[in-house]
Amino acid sequence: MTSAARVSPPAGNTGNVIRDSALGIVPETLDHYLALNAAIWDAGPLSAAEVELARLRNARHTGCVLCQAVRYDVAIADGLTEDKVQVIRQDDPAAQLSERERLIVAFVDQYNLDPAGIPAQLQQDLLAAFREHELLHLSLLVAWFNGSSRCAVALGGMPEAMPRLEISVPR
Amino acid sequence: MSWIAGDLGREQIMDRLPAIGEHFQRLYASFYSLSQLPPETVELCRLRLAQLHRSDADFALEEYPLAAGKREQLQDWHNASPFSAGERACLELAEVHAMDCSAITDAQADAVKQHFGEAGLVALLQALGVFDGFIRLGLIWQAAPAGGKQHD
Repeated sequence: MTSAARVSPPAGNTGNVIRDSALGIVPETLDHYLALNAAIWDAGPLSAAEVELARLRNARHTGCVLCQAVRYDVAIADGLTEDKVQVIRQDDPAAQLSERERLIVAFVDQYNLDPAGIPAQLQQDLLAAFREHELLHLSLLVAWFNGSSRCAVALGGMPEAMPRLEISVPR
Repeated sequence: MSWIAGDLGREQIMDRLPAIGEHFQRLYASFYSLSQLPPETVELCRLRLAQLHRSDADFALEEYPLAAGKREQLQDWHNASPFSAGERACLELAEVHAMDCSAITDAQADAVKQHFGEAGLVALLQALGVFDGFIRLGLIWQAAPAGGKQHD
């Protein structure tokens, strides 16, 4: 992994972590990025704790140190504990999770490892445990966080390790 | 037929959660009107991702028309003649991104920046992430793309 950032962020400090990052130098996409990121947190039926669980499990796959260090304050307020975060960092955390949490992790793993090979049993379990809108929210948030996490890694400048960092959803 | 929403296509499934799905589709569309990257280069990278994911349905889409021969020779772009140096730099980065984004080298990133600047590199990485996401969603939902035009 590179140790130097490959792109310079824009000059100035707006206080918005997305606008102030390298993403801020592409004005054509910036507002779309911000609107989609906010909608992922605000406009879907899954709880903030479930969104964060999926986001953190995804970050484990992409290897994004920053994404793994961040905790969104809305998820903490919604009840996501650090103990739970440590559980989902395990290779096979299913035994320590609720059925919904187990299926969220299973979906994230499937999306990352073999999206075309989703087993019929996992499909049935997801349909039994989640409403359609919840499954759509889960799918879209995993796609979003996976793509943005890959972008963060590829832009370089990622440290080897980072302390836990609690932030608000940038708007 | 998709297990998640019957016989709907991918974008139609996204439309069932419009508060999020519409933003996703607007972001996707924005990559074809960038000042930093030519839309033909963007389309080549999307098609190469479709090939790497073995998504025939995504490869059959035509979001932007390509010059003659490019689609047909894309799988062998390393050896084929119709691709410019800038397109080659983007295709090489797209291939590594698809396999392991942490394996992208400084030289590969610099090659993209040489042709399209820092903003071009950022825009390309954004586009690759979103295109990869759309392709994976279609695969995991078992839903073919419903938007865009089919290549003749």
